[in-house]
Amino acid sequence: MMRTQVRLQVNGVEHELWIRNDRTLLNALHDDVGLPDVRYGCNEGVCGTCTVLVDGAPTSACLMYAVQAEGHEITTLHGMADPTQEMHPLQKRFLEHGGAQCGFCTPGMLLTAKALAERKPDANREEIRYELVGNLCRCTGYTAIVDAIEAWMKDDHAEDESPGATGAASSAGADAVEAGA
Amino acid sequence: MPNDQVGLDPAERVEPTSFEYQRADSWDEAVELLRIWDGEAKVIAGGQSLVPMFNLRLTTTAALVDINDIGDEGGPRVEAGDEGPVVVIPALTRHSTVLASSIIAEHCPMLQHAVGLVGNVRVRNRGTFGGSVAHADPTGEIPCCLLSMGGSVTLRGPRGTRAVAAGDWFRTYLTTAAEPDELVTEVRIPSVAGLSWAFEEEVRRFSDFATVAVAVQTRQGGLPAIVLGGVADRPLLLSDDLVDPLRNPQTDILAAVAEAAAGSVTPESDVHATGEHRRRLVRVLVRRALEQALHPDSSRGDLR
Amino acid sequence: MTDVTQEQATPVADRPVVGESFNVVGTSPGHHDFVDKVRGTLMYAADWKLPGMLFGKVVRSEMASARIVSIDVSAARELDGVVAVLTAEDVPYNAIVEHASGGLGELTVPQPVLAADRVRYVGEPVAVIAAVDQETADEAADLVHVEYEPLPGVFSPAESLAEGAPLVHEAGNVLVNWRLERGEVDKAFSEADVVVEEVYQTQHVEHAYLETEAGVGWIENDVVTLRVSTQVIEHAVEIAEILGLPANRVRVIAAYMGGGFGGKEDTTVEPYLALLVWRTRKPVQMVWSRQESIMASTKRHPFTMSYRTAAAKDGRILGMECDIIGDAGAYPCLSARVLFAGAALSTGPYKVPSLRARSRAVFTNNVPTSAFRGFGAMQVVLGYESQIDAVADALGMDRREIRDLNYVEKGDAVTSGEPITTAVAVAETREKALARLGPPNPPSGPGKVVGQGFGNSMQPYGRTIWFRDHASAWVTLQSDGTLLIRSGVTDLGAGQAASLCQIAAEILGVPLDDISVYIGDTALNPPAGGTFATRQLYMSGNAILRASRKLRDQLAPVAAALIGTEPDDLEWRAGTVSRRTGQGELTLADVARAAQDAAVDTSVLYTWRAPAGRFDPDVGQGGTFPDYTFGTHAAEVEVDVETGAVRLTKYAACHDVGRSINPMRVRGQIQGGAMQGIGYALSEECVMVDGNPTSTLFANYLIPSSMDAPDIMVDIVESGEGRGPLGARGIGEPPIGPPAAALASAIENAIGRRPTTLPFTPERVLALLDQRGGDDLSHAEEAQER
Repeated sequence: MMRTQVRLQVNGVEHELWIRNDRTLLNALHDDVGLPDVRYGCNEGVCGTCTVLVDGAPTSACLMYAVQAEGHEITTLHGMADPTQEMHPLQKRFLEHGGAQCGFCTPGMLLTAKALAERKPDANREEIRYELVGNLCRCTGYTAIVDAIEAWMKDDHAEDESPGATGAASSAGADAVEAGA
Repeated sequence: MPNDQVGLDPAERVEPTSFEYQRADSWDEAVELLRIWDGEAKVIAGGQSLVPMFNLRLTTTAALVDINDIGDEGGPRVEAGDEGPVVVIPALTRHSTVLASSIIAEHCPMLQHAVGLVGNVRVRNRGTFGGSVAHADPTGEIPCCLLSMGGSVTLRGPRGTRAVAAGDWFRTYLTTAAEPDELVTEVRIPSVAGLSWAFEEEVRRFSDFATVAVAVQTRQGGLPAIVLGGVADRPLLLSDDLVDPLRNPQTDILAAVAEAAAGSVTPESDVHATGEHRRRLVRVLVRRALEQALHPDSSRGDLR
Repeated sequence: MTDVTQEQATPVADRPVVGESFNVVGTSPGHHDFVDKVRGTLMYAADWKLPGMLFGKVVRSEMASARIVSIDVSAARELDGVVAVLTAEDVPYNAIVEHASGGLGELTVPQPVLAADRVRYVGEPVAVIAAVDQETADEAADLVHVEYEPLPGVFSPAESLAEGAPLVHEAGNVLVNWRLERGEVDKAFSEADVVVEEVYQTQHVEHAYLETEAGVGWIENDVVTLRVSTQVIEHAVEIAEILGLPANRVRVIAAYMGGGFGGKEDTTVEPYLALLVWRTRKPVQMVWSRQESIMASTKRHPFTMSYRTAAAKDGRILGMECDIIGDAGAYPCLSARVLFAGAALSTGPYKVPSLRARSRAVFTNNVPTSAFRGFGAMQVVLGYESQIDAVADALGMDRREIRDLNYVEKGDAVTSGEPITTAVAVAETREKALARLGPPNPPSGPGKVVGQGFGNSMQPYGRTIWFRDHASAWVTLQSDGTLLIRSGVTDLGAGQAASLCQIAAEILGVPLDDISVYIGDTALNPPAGGTFATRQLYMSGNAILRASRKLRDQLAPVAAALIGTEPDDLEWRAGTVSRRTGQGELTLADVARAAQDAAVDTSVLYTWRAPAGRFDPDVGQGGTFPDYTFGTHAAEVEVDVETGAVRLTKYAACHDVGRSINPMRVRGQIQGGAMQGIGYALSEECVMVDGNPTSTLFANYLIPSSMDAPDIMVDIVESGEGRGPLGARGIGEPPIGPPAAALASAIENAIGRRPTTLPFTPERVLALLDQRGGDDLSHAEEAQER
C-alpha cells in the first residue's frame, strides 16, 4: 500500500488524512491540513522555514514523513499563538524590533525561540544565536531577531498570561545601536 | 496536437512510484521486516540524512522500515566492563539526549562537546546517535569521536547479534561493516572519564559539516588516539608509528607529529576546499588539538 | 474621481526638512504586513489552492551547450496523473526579448521559453509538465528523455572573448559594450606622481530568498490570471505575447514576497504557469525547488574589473581607467543595464576629472545573470575603494585624509558629466561608522591577528532617467473616514506598501489602523512600475505624497466651510480636522460625507513623473540616474594566521537616507543588506565546473547563519536632501555595497595583504599570508600583542 490512513494531532486538533507514504509532514501540514505557517524552503532540513514542534521539540517537517507523525503532538506557530487570539508577547517583541521583514522565516524563528526559552529561560544573546543557527534569514541580518528574543527573555514572563499592549508598537528605540555598543 | 493527456487510455497508464511504510516496535520485528524485503527496504531512524536524499530524488526504495518506535531505551547508561565502566548508547538515542546527558558529560566529554557542533537544534532533536554511526559520513563529528574513543558497534541481524570494533567499522564513503540485513542497536564506548581530549574543526559556516575535523582522546597508560575527519573516504585513525613520538610530548614533537599526520593523507577537493588546503588544516588542527589535549594548561577557550 | 494629474518633479529641498515635525513619518510602527507575518497568517504565492488545481514542473537541460536531437515525452505522458507535457512546439510565441538598456545599443537576442533546437546552459527549460500532484509531476520530469548532441561551450568571459571562440548566439558573444569617457585621461596618467593598478574578480552569487519562485494560475472570464511571487507585475504584457493573446487577457497579481532581492525582477514561473493554465484550462500551481532555484535562477554577475588610478603626490586623483567584463551567462536578461551601472558608478563617491570607463556584458554557457540588489553598482565598490586605499598607501597618506580630499560634493559632475544635485554626506557617514566601531579588540589568542577597515559606497536609486519613469497612486477617503490606497507596487518585505500608508497618514491625518492598502494587481491597481532599482519609495512615495496632498487640498474648502475658517488654517491629525488652534474639530467621516453632499471628489488618482533625460551612448555622456545614496560600513575582523579563517568581530554601518520614513524599517534594510554583503564577501559562491553547478544545495551554498556575524550596529544620517517624498532617499540596495570593501580593508589591516578575489575564503586568505611570509607576520602579531 503506497498510501496510509494517518491521524495527525496538530495544534490540539485531530486530522485524518489518506496520504501517500512519501508525503512529508511539511506537505501534509501545508497542503492538506492547510497551515500556511509551515513553509517549504529547501527540503534539506537546512533553512528552518518548515520548523514545527514535535512533542515540544523543534523539528524539520520536511525531514519527517507524515505517516511517521502519528502518535505525536505537532505544534505549529498557530498552535503556539492562535491567530484569533491576542498576540503572544514574543510576537509583539518581533513587531517592536522589526524581527520580520519578508516574514518567511518568522514562524520557524518564533517556535525555535519559544522552545529555547522553555529549556533555558535565562539564555543570553550568544546562546540565542547558537540556537537559531539552523533558522536562516536573508532579510534582517539576524540582529533585530536576536534583539526581539532577548528582550522577550528579559521580560517578566508573568505578562505572557495577561493581555499586554496592542501589536503596533510606538517606537523601536535604538535597540541595534545599544545592543552593539 | 499538443502533448496533453486528454484522451490517453487509462489502461496505458503507469502507476507513480512511492514506497511501502512499515513500523517496527522491536529489533526482532525490524530484522524480520528487513528479511522479508530482502534488500529492497531502507531503515529510517532520525531521517536527517536519508530523507533529504529521497526529497532530492537521489535514491528510491520499495519500502521504508521505521524503527523509531523501538525508542531510546532510557538513553545513555553505564555498565561495568572487564576493563572499567562502559557507556552504552542505544541506537535511537537522539543527539539532543546525548548533549544533555550527565553520563556522557562525565564519561565521554569529547562526545558531548562534538554533538553540540552537529547540525542545528532540529537535527539534534530528531537525528539519532545510531543513525550517525551507521551513516558514516567521513566529515561527521560523531564518527570521528567514536573512532578516537574506541569501543564497538552492536549489530542485530538474522544471524543474531555481533559487535564490530570501532576501528573496523568505517569502510568507505557512507559504508560500514554492517551487512544490508543488519541494524545498529547500540554503541558501546569505554569510559574516558577524567582523561583529557580535544576536538578541533574548521567549518565554512557554523554548524555545517567540517572541512577538516580532528579528535584527540588521551588514554590511561597509552598513547593518545588521533582521528582525522574530512580528509578521506572515512574517518582516519592515525597509525601507531605516526603517534609513537608522542611518548615524549614536547612542543616541537607535537608539531612534528602534526606534520607527519598531514603527510600521511591525500584529501580530495570539493566545493568547500581543495585537497591541499585540507592537508594544511590537518597540520594546524592536529598540532592545536595535541597542545590542548596534552598541555591543557595552555589550552584556549572553545567557542562553546 | 479627478483626472490623472501629471507634474514634473519639483526641486528637492524646497524647505528645510530635518527638524520639521511629523506625527507619523519618522516613527516606527510595526504595522500592516508585519502583523500577518509575525502571526504566520500571510498568504504567500504558494499558499493558494483552487479546486482541481494541478501541479507544474519544469524539465531542465542537463547540458551546458548542446543541440537537441529529440525529446521523448511518451514515458512521462503514460504516468498516471500526468495531465500535460509541453515542449517548444506548444508555445505560441517562443521568445522573451529583452532590451534592458532601453534601446541604447545591445544585441537583439531572444530567449526561448522552452528550448527548441539547442540548449545554452545547465538548467535551461526544455519541457513543462502538469500533473495531479507534485510528486507525480516530479517523477514525470525524470521520465522526459532528451537526446543531446554536445556542442563546444564557453565557460568564462575570457573563453568567450578569445579569437575563434564558439558562439553562444549567432549575433555574437558581446551583448553590449558601454564606454564613458571624459577629461584627458592620457594626460592625467602622464602627469601623475603615482599610478596604481589592480584587477578585482567577483563571483556568481545567488539571491537565496527563503521563498523560492512560486505561483498559482487560473482562468477567469477568459483572462489568464497569475498570482505569483514577483517584483514586476508589468510582465503581464510579455506573458500575453508568449501566449499569443492581447495584453488585456493576462492579469498578474503579486503576492507579498518571501524575499526577492532582484531575483524576481525577470519572469520566473510566470511563462510556464501561463502555458499550463492556458493549455489545460485548469488552475495550476508551480513552486520551484530550492535546488532548481539555486541551479537555474538568475545570478549576480561575476565582474572582472581592471582598474588604473592616477594621482598627484598631494593625494588628488587625476584620472582613472576602468575596464569591466561581466559574465552575462547564456541570455541577455538585464545584463545590459547592470553593466551600464557598473561603468557609471566605477569611480564611486570620488572626483575623477579624467575617466575612461568601459564595460562589456559577455555571453557564456553559464547560468544567466541579471538583477541582484546593488545591480552592477555594488561589485565596483571593491574596486574603487581598494584603489583609493592603494593610492593612500603609495603616498603614505591616511585613508580618511585622502578621501576627504577627493569626495564628490554637491554640484560636482559624475562619470557621465551631469552634476550631483543633492547633499553628499559621505564624510559624515564614515565618521559615524568608525566612531561606532570603536577601538580594536585584542586578539583572542596566539596565531590570531585583528584588523579594522571601512568602505564607502555610492549607489543610485531610481531607474536611469531615459526610461521616463512614472508611478501612480490612488487614494480614496470613505464615508466613515477610513482610507483606501491602491497602488501597483509589489512588496519584497521591505515595507513598500506600509511606507505608503505612513506617508498618506501623515498628510491626511488618517490613523494607520484606518488605512487599507491594496497593491500588486495589474487589473485593479494603477501602475507603479516594478519594485526594483530602489525606486518605489522614490516613485510611488512621491505619487502617494502628491495624491494625498491633492486630496487634502480638494477636501480642505469643504472642511473649512463647515468649521467656519480658511482652508489653510486646518490641522489634519488623528482622524480629525480642526483649526490650528484646535477649535472646531470634525472627524474625517464628517468631512467625507460633507464632500459627497457637495459633489466634491473624495478620491484622487495621481501619476508622478520622474525627471527625464537623455544619454548618448556614442560619446558616453548625458543623463543617467536621478540621485544617489551614500554610506559607509566599518568592520573588525580576526584572522587565524594558520587556517586563513576570517571571523567578523564587529560591524557598523551608516547611510544617509535623506529622511527616514520608518527608522525601524530603514535600520532593517541596512542590517539585512550588510549581512548579504558579508555573505558575498566571505562565503557565498555558485561554483560551476564547465557550466555545471556544483553548489546547488542550501547545505553548500553558504548564506550566513546567526553565528557567522556579529550584531550590525546602525547609525542613520538624515541630510534631508533626497529626491523621494519629504526628502527621503532609497535604502533598499545601498547597504549591500560596502561590506566587501570594508572587509578587504580590515583583512589587509590584519595581515598586510589585500584580497582582490571574492569571496575571501580561508584558502585565499592563507595564500595572501603565504605571499607575505612568516617573519613579517610574527612582527604583526607581536605588535598587536603589545
